[in-house]
Amino acid sequence: MTQDESRTKVYRLKGLKQRGNPYLWIGLFMTGTAVLMALVGFFWTPCSTTAMSAAERFCAPSPGHPFGTDNFGRDILSRVMKGAGSTIFISSLVVFFSGGLGIVIGALTGYFGGLLDEIVMRFTDAVNGFPSILLALVMISILGSGKKNLILSLGIVFTPSFVRIVRSEFIRLRDADYISRARLMGVGRLRILFVHILPNIFSTFWVSVMIGFNNGILAESGMSYLGIGVRPPDASLGEMLSDAQGYLLRAPWYALAPGLTIVWIVLGFSLLGEGIRQSSGEASDGR
Amino acid sequence: MEDRVGMFPKNENPMIQIQNLSVCFGGTEAVKNVDLEIARGEILGVVGESGSGKSVTALTVMGLLSESGRITSGRVIFDKDVLIESGERLNRALYRRYQGQRMSMVFQEPMTSLNPTRRVGAQVEEMLMLHTELPRQQWREKVLESFVSVGLRDVEQLYNCYPHQLSGGMRQRVMIAMAVILHPDLIVADEPTTALDVTVQNQIIALLREINQKEHNAMLFITHDLNLARRLCHRIAVMKDGRVVETQSAKDIFENPREEYTRSLIQAVPTRVRCKARPGESATGTGSAVSGEIRRPVLEVHDLNVYYQEGTNSLFGRRKRRRVVSGADFVLYPGEVMGLVGESGCGKSSLSKAILGMNRNVEGEIRHFSTRPQMIFQDPYSSLNPSRTVGWLLQEPLRAAGRLDKSRQMSEADMRAAACDMLRRVGLDESCMNRKPSQLSGGQRQRISIGQALITRPGFVIADEPVSALDVTLQAQIMELMQRLQEELGVAYLFISHDINVVYRMSDRIMVMKDGEIVEQGDTEELFAHPREAYTKLLLQEDLE
Amino acid sequence: MQYFGKKTVTLIMTLFLVSVAAFLAFQIIPGDVVGSILGTEATPEREAKLREELGFNDPPVVRYMNWITGVLRGDLGKSWRYSKSMNEMMPVAELIGDKLPVTLWLAVLSVLLIVIVSVPLGVFWAKSRGRAADAVFSVLTQTAMAVPSFFLGILVTYLFGMVLRWFTPGGYVSYQDNFVGFLGYLIFPALSVAVPKIAMTARFLRNSLLTEMSSDYVRTARSKGATEQRVMYGHVLRNALMPVVTFLGMIIAEIVAGSIVVEQVFGLPGVGRLLISSISTRDLPVVEILVLYITAVVIVVYFLVDIVYRMIDPRISHK
Repeated sequence: MTQDESRTKVYRLKGLKQRGNPYLWIGLFMTGTAVLMALVGFFWTPCSTTAMSAAERFCAPSPGHPFGTDNFGRDILSRVMKGAGSTIFISSLVVFFSGGLGIVIGALTGYFGGLLDEIVMRFTDAVNGFPSILLALVMISILGSGKKNLILSLGIVFTPSFVRIVRSEFIRLRDADYISRARLMGVGRLRILFVHILPNIFSTFWVSVMIGFNNGILAESGMSYLGIGVRPPDASLGEMLSDAQGYLLRAPWYALAPGLTIVWIVLGFSLLGEGIRQSSGEASDGR
Repeated sequence: MEDRVGMFPKNENPMIQIQNLSVCFGGTEAVKNVDLEIARGEILGVVGESGSGKSVTALTVMGLLSESGRITSGRVIFDKDVLIESGERLNRALYRRYQGQRMSMVFQEPMTSLNPTRRVGAQVEEMLMLHTELPRQQWREKVLESFVSVGLRDVEQLYNCYPHQLSGGMRQRVMIAMAVILHPDLIVADEPTTALDVTVQNQIIALLREINQKEHNAMLFITHDLNLARRLCHRIAVMKDGRVVETQSAKDIFENPREEYTRSLIQAVPTRVRCKARPGESATGTGSAVSGEIRRPVLEVHDLNVYYQEGTNSLFGRRKRRRVVSGADFVLYPGEVMGLVGESGCGKSSLSKAILGMNRNVEGEIRHFSTRPQMIFQDPYSSLNPSRTVGWLLQEPLRAAGRLDKSRQMSEADMRAAACDMLRRVGLDESCMNRKPSQLSGGQRQRISIGQALITRPGFVIADEPVSALDVTLQAQIMELMQRLQEELGVAYLFISHDINVVYRMSDRIMVMKDGEIVEQGDTEELFAHPREAYTKLLLQEDLE
Repeated sequence: MQYFGKKTVTLIMTLFLVSVAAFLAFQIIPGDVVGSILGTEATPEREAKLREELGFNDPPVVRYMNWITGVLRGDLGKSWRYSKSMNEMMPVAELIGDKLPVTLWLAVLSVLLIVIVSVPLGVFWAKSRGRAADAVFSVLTQTAMAVPSFFLGILVTYLFGMVLRWFTPGGYVSYQDNFVGFLGYLIFPALSVAVPKIAMTARFLRNSLLTEMSSDYVRTARSKGATEQRVMYGHVLRNALMPVVTFLGMIIAEIVAGSIVVEQVFGLPGVGRLLISSISTRDLPVVEILVLYITAVVIVVYFLVDIVYRMIDPRISHK
């Protein structure tokens, strides 16, 4: 038997555990600071985000303006806080919408299969094959631009990936021995779906939520950069970047601030996802 | 066989010596002060349960210890050359001159031990490429020769096959061809037959014996199966928790085991000796119905055909319907144990799934006379919901029963009491109630599975290979537990196993299955004493040698 | 080969469905758009004339048939916003013609960069397991994957264009004038598209290699006395690269999406920029054709990757 071999694997895992789970902690720290900054930004910013000042155009970062000022003399930090807020807000709604829909559709199609599953799968396959940003652009071009339409189109575009993940987990588990046994005990279908199976897919689901957040943030900022998402005067990170590009030589900090903020948030969420994956991987059955 | 059991003459110049070897993984010693030596022409069996350090010993000898392993004491001497000396780093460059050429290894899993994307011929050729000066044109011929020597046929065709195109037995023969093509002085075989069916297992054992006699090389044979070691090896070393407990000739170890652990291993081996009278016999009589009274069965199966849908659910593929069980016909009485034995893929599991309604693609008649029959699965790791506690798991069947039938509804406290009671019956204490399955060992999990199956007091339970994933001593304990619970609760089992000895120990009656058909069924003693079918005889053959 | 036939039928059916979806989305759902095309010049007579001209009076099925046969013959319809002359609308085909190669080359260059860099990187990374380089690569790739391609484009513009002056930002060279100069300029946008994908692919390959390294056949190869080099290049690499082929196919869609955005950053006159401006001005016929094109390319690439995978993996090709 190979148990001797698997034993060595256990030792290796233990070694990992002793070093802690850096992904989880760093990810939590990064997302935590970003969300905190965004939340504060909803109620208070160091300076007004709209007040312009000809005298203070293109100030380099200084104690008064930690991230400098832009072409209208507006404080970049304040605008980044607002922008991060709207980016995180939009992607939260998108993930909430598509994740929720994904769980319900994925659970039902995965567990029951059949014709409905067939149709849904053909559809999600087709949607998954498309570049997601392209699809969102198409929907915007039909629905018209604006915050609401942006959330709606990204939500619809991201749903299939959640459906896929949830569905494949349900398919994997619906034939698991312990689910067969639950069926033999006479446990009802809905109870099997949501009490017996669902808790076992949470770790996978949370990882995909983190990936969804990432994609949501990238798509939102990308579309705002292209001028199709959030419109001025609302601050948005993508729109700031697109403005900053024109003054790259004169004020490189103008581009760096929103750009690095996006990187910070996305990196935070992907580390968090990786951390969740690792910790659940270690905890799972310990074989 | 008898002549091989005798003491092998002590050789002054052993082929390989393992002296005081200790191997550490992290902070844990997997192998502790192991001393072994094998003479030229001798087969040494190392027997132990999982975690006993036998595989680590084999891998260390072969120089294949993974990087996380550290040799903390001792040495390995191969034909006077010191290959491993504690304190020194494993010299892989030195080892490569021996690996393949002078020592070679056969692994447990023939399915995964060959590279899936290279032709088997090329994989055997690699040995020649690495270690000989032989011109390339002669490689093919040499490989074909070695294929023939291990009993493979159609070798020309085989040469160009990929591993997945071969059966498990053929792959293992290819592995052996690879191991012997350069006529090494030492062959290490790590559970080479464990993944194979019984009949193939016998062929591989015979082949190894033949190679040993012809080539007169030393062989280190690792196994968990004491019976198997007895059949092949001259001497046997028993390992436990990283130590060699005792080493004796194969004959002596069975006749005069010196250590308590060896004795318990021998006892745990399911042999043809029935340990005690089973409850089924005393309480209800066997299937021969000597008592004369007409009993109502718990299950009747008549002329049952089970089908399996092949092909994917693509829009184009027309589904094929394949018959996996044909004409199954039997009756099971209360409190009786019916054994079902057969090799992998013979349809045992398909039959059990059909009986429980998990596959409805059937023809024929299945009649149940008990409510909600339950099932116990082979793999203790996948048969308990990992996100729930033991207490919740034991109560869930009661909750489900209460929801289906109001008269069976129980209060929270009653359910908890019932769960506690069942926990005790399966030999665990209440502290387990709040644990999750991941905090339990394989044996403990299987106990919980049994408890979960029996807590609603079903009249009939199917046990599909319930002990096959467990170590021998655990096997014995679980079987004993199942027998005891049957006595206490009067449940009938359909007991499925590939291991005829296990079935023998558990069952009142036995059915033998082959290629979807029940070829023979009858009273256990009767069937063992006078097997009618050739296939049954083949299954029993390993002891008739 | 039976599989090939099935796949081809599926491919054609998928393309058909996509065209129907595009037709529905752009010609049926938006409803009567004649007014918005004409804008301030709208009069009832002109609207009626345009409606007749665009075939809006026909039933949907006829409109679809007219449209799709046109598309297949190269008549891609007419733009609502761009005009050729005073009274003639610009044919979409002319609008797209010289823009397609730009996007195509950008995507090809990106894929080449990804393959050339990520394979050696992944192998080196897998070999450095447990050493300091392992952690460094891990941090680098995690970060690279978090950088959106448009921000990367801005960084590349700043670093290579303004600080190092390796190229002139905005100084696009047309491929018709100077192909080498064109490629020389294109390498920087391609880099912006490729870097995050290189990180992803190297990571994927590294994980694939480590999985393969821990499989049983590697132990068998070592037991034969094969060197680590031989184990890696004779056994493991080939097997580990197979899933990478599928992975590359899967990220093709993202590469295309990245190209669309990056064209905007570098001012490349490709279809991506046209798409964005057409969306802003709701020039639906142009958007429709571009979406159809891009989707068709992605679907065909998927198809090809699937076929290639079947050919290189003997576990499937030698059933």
